[in-house]
Amino acid sequence: MDYQKLAKRIVQRATKKGASQAEAFLEVGRQSTVRVREGQIEDLTQSTSKGVGLRVVVKGRLGFAFTSDFEPSGLERLVDQALKLAEAAAPNKLNGLPGAKELGRLGDTGALYDAAVANLPGDWKVKAALEMEKAGRAEDARVATFNSVGAGDFVSEVYVASSEGMSGGYSGTYVYLFAMPVASGDGQLQRGYWLDYKRFLDDLESPEAIGREATRRAVRMLGARRVKTQQVPVVFDPLVAASFVSGVARAANGNAVHQQASMFASRMGQKLAGEHVTLVDNGLLPRGLATAPFDGEGVPTRRTPIIDRGVLTHFLYDAFTARKAKARPTGNAKRGYNALPSIGASNLYLEPGQKPPEQLIREVDRGFYVTSLLGHGANPVTGELSAGANGLWIENGELTHAVQEVTVAGNVLKMLQDLDGVGNDLQFRGGATGAPTVRFRGLTLSGE
Amino acid sequence: MPRASAPPRRAPPSQLAPLAARRPVPAPLLPQGLLERLLAVAMERGGDFAEVYVERTHSTSVVLEESRIKSAQTGLVQGVGVRVISGGKVGYAFSDDWDEPALLRAASTAAMIAQSTGAERAFPVSRVAVPSHYHVPTPLSDVEVALKASLLTRADKAARAFDSRVTQVNAAYGDQTRRIAVANTEGRYTEDTQDLCRLSVHVVAQGKKNERRTGMYGGGGRVPFTHWETFPPEEVAREAARQSVATLGAVDCAAGPQTVVLAPGWSGILLHEAVGHGLEADFIRKGTSLFVGKLGEKVASELVTVIDDGTVSSGRGSINIDDEGTPGERKVLIANGVLKGYLYDSLNAKLMGQRSTGSGRRESFRHLPIPRMTNTFLAPGNHHPEDILKEVKRGLYCATFGGGQVDISNGNFVFEVSEAYQIEDGKLGRPVKNATLIGVGPEALKNVSRVGCDPRPDPGMGICGKNGQSMPVGVGLPTVRIDNVTVGGTQVG
Repeated sequence: MDYQKLAKRIVQRATKKGASQAEAFLEVGRQSTVRVREGQIEDLTQSTSKGVGLRVVVKGRLGFAFTSDFEPSGLERLVDQALKLAEAAAPNKLNGLPGAKELGRLGDTGALYDAAVANLPGDWKVKAALEMEKAGRAEDARVATFNSVGAGDFVSEVYVASSEGMSGGYSGTYVYLFAMPVASGDGQLQRGYWLDYKRFLDDLESPEAIGREATRRAVRMLGARRVKTQQVPVVFDPLVAASFVSGVARAANGNAVHQQASMFASRMGQKLAGEHVTLVDNGLLPRGLATAPFDGEGVPTRRTPIIDRGVLTHFLYDAFTARKAKARPTGNAKRGYNALPSIGASNLYLEPGQKPPEQLIREVDRGFYVTSLLGHGANPVTGELSAGANGLWIENGELTHAVQEVTVAGNVLKMLQDLDGVGNDLQFRGGATGAPTVRFRGLTLSGE
Repeated sequence: MPRASAPPRRAPPSQLAPLAARRPVPAPLLPQGLLERLLAVAMERGGDFAEVYVERTHSTSVVLEESRIKSAQTGLVQGVGVRVISGGKVGYAFSDDWDEPALLRAASTAAMIAQSTGAERAFPVSRVAVPSHYHVPTPLSDVEVALKASLLTRADKAARAFDSRVTQVNAAYGDQTRRIAVANTEGRYTEDTQDLCRLSVHVVAQGKKNERRTGMYGGGGRVPFTHWETFPPEEVAREAARQSVATLGAVDCAAGPQTVVLAPGWSGILLHEAVGHGLEADFIRKGTSLFVGKLGEKVASELVTVIDDGTVSSGRGSINIDDEGTPGERKVLIANGVLKGYLYDSLNAKLMGQRSTGSGRRESFRHLPIPRMTNTFLAPGNHHPEDILKEVKRGLYCATFGGGQVDISNGNFVFEVSEAYQIEDGKLGRPVKNATLIGVGPEALKNVSRVGCDPRPDPGMGICGKNGQSMPVGVGLPTVRIDNVTVGGTQVG
């Protein structure tokens, strides 16, 4: 089936039936995941999926419907429903699809599709998963079992067509490995987690490396104990730093800022952090997981520095909010076929600094190296962060014993000011948000 | 790591759901002959068990922002999943294309997990009647969208009228009418229709010097649309607004161990995280939960009795059948502090020589079923809630809650307190901000020293995440006192 044509046909059908504007967003994909357990396949899942969402504007009113039923009757119902829903919405003269000016010229994404991933032999994932499990066990005898270990891939196609002249599509590939061993010792069970997730097979770390690192992370947590309540320098490993970074970026959501419901509201242009802090959203990052020529409503993606050498410089916008805030859309409309676009980050990362992570730790007299967080992260309205933390204690610049059942708490705005070290080890581990190791001058740790 | 989110209190008046009018039985989702053909293909390589899962979900959602209905949307998602079990191995394939050839392809893909050539066999199924724990005479998908939208405009008005410091109100309504059918090679064929709705209101209040506080409240369940007559959007909105205004001027929370008193209702997330997930049979079978091998042991204070109940009338987590076709159950997990049982889906039950407790749930046909909670609550005790508070000299009263998360291996769990007050000499003092509680499941439950006589379910908006799958769940707790809990905060000393 020619999905690009189908998307256009749905748009034409909607305008013919009375929509002043219409946009179809269509996704098609196939994927497969395998998990193994004790040298055997545990489960294997394969699927194909497709769906289309239709956004219409009728007299300034917005309607949206989606379906995975591509039969002619299903598509006809889709059009009728979207039109009917527009009647229920309030008219808003800001409503409208991105126009020619916003659609503009597409940037250069480089390749998004790897034939080697799309044509992975059926047993590649099984072998990779078995190898991960074996390497994870070989690394340390204290690995008792795995909660989960596996591999997967998927291939997806996206098509957008609109009455305002948008017509485009692209396809991409993804491949990933994950291992979650559980180590047993000192009367404790401790879990480790490590993974890699890439568009290109060549970029993916070896299954052996993933298995070994996952085990190291589990085993080093054995013997974990609480520490006293105190304020100390705190170092976040790249995985934890990435979740901090995504919390910071949630406050850069242009809609929340416009509604004054963000800790960043009325702080544009202010110096929030030191010169060494640059936080970027980049929809055109070469080989990035979220790299795409256009966003969920056809607007070209771009590089947007949110914090540039410490200064708050940009917020993220979709077309609607940009219009509302009299700003420029940044190509940050995120969506699946089953939802209207909303503002979200693409490839989001804290730019790396000069110091190796070991040095960031070595410079700490007494502190806490955090390797996993529990909880939902920072509140983007108030900036408050209070989360459970696991990790390793730092004494005289050296990692000593494992720590658990403590919390770290602070305010993101204060934490940005206190961010006094950025490592040179930027990595994108579990997705499109990346960070290097970072260090905060002082955070409150709650324990005994 | 499993996590749960959403907030607050107050019981959905589930008993008000009309019991009289029953919906007519709709035509089967897939013809029985086709289901049987799919089972036969799924077993053609000699699997031990096969199951066909059919799902069709209509959903609606409406969003209000800046006092306007921003958007209204509806959608249809439908698909068929075929699962084949061979020894301990599972093959699964699904398709959102209902064409017969596409479905047969899915069945034969799932069959590949089994290795032998197997003979051609027939697997007749017959329909099994199931009990009914929810009564929604008019499917929510049939209710006019304009009526759903009007709930939000009413909520917006009430929240803004509550206090002039309320600066932003975002409200959302969502519902779904989910039909499922499950047929398996044991001859069982079951169907269920699961309506579910939810209204939520987020409020931002602004105080002096740009101080912003947030409030959130909402509710719903497997209830008819008339639910909103007895649980009106104005009440929801006022509670969200109250929270946001009440916490203006909150002081930094003291870090370190404290005595805490939990308000009834949504605080049930404590049980969900502290013990519920650790009792799910997949973690038990794999030996990755700290509750492995503890059946019959004392794992909590004797005041603690924990129940998971899929049969609560109209409850958000209630199920007539789980997503493997097994009827929902009421199950005592911990009785007076002693561990009594685990939560099983059919696969883990089989591998462990047990029977399913009706806990096999899946987000959609795109996922394999896994053991999950339904409505999890703490049985009430004898203490009067006012006395519980009065006895505390210094501590923290936790009134409303955000989400929680647990690491089931080491048992560390957190839950976020969105509205809290200092307790001084048995009375509530200043509001406190940025508090999180952390503990290890069994240790925290051993420190439960008072259990109130005021059981209360949450208002019906909990979402539980596990292995990337989100499920609606209910929780509930009476007023509870726990001693020596580590409270995360920013204030030292």
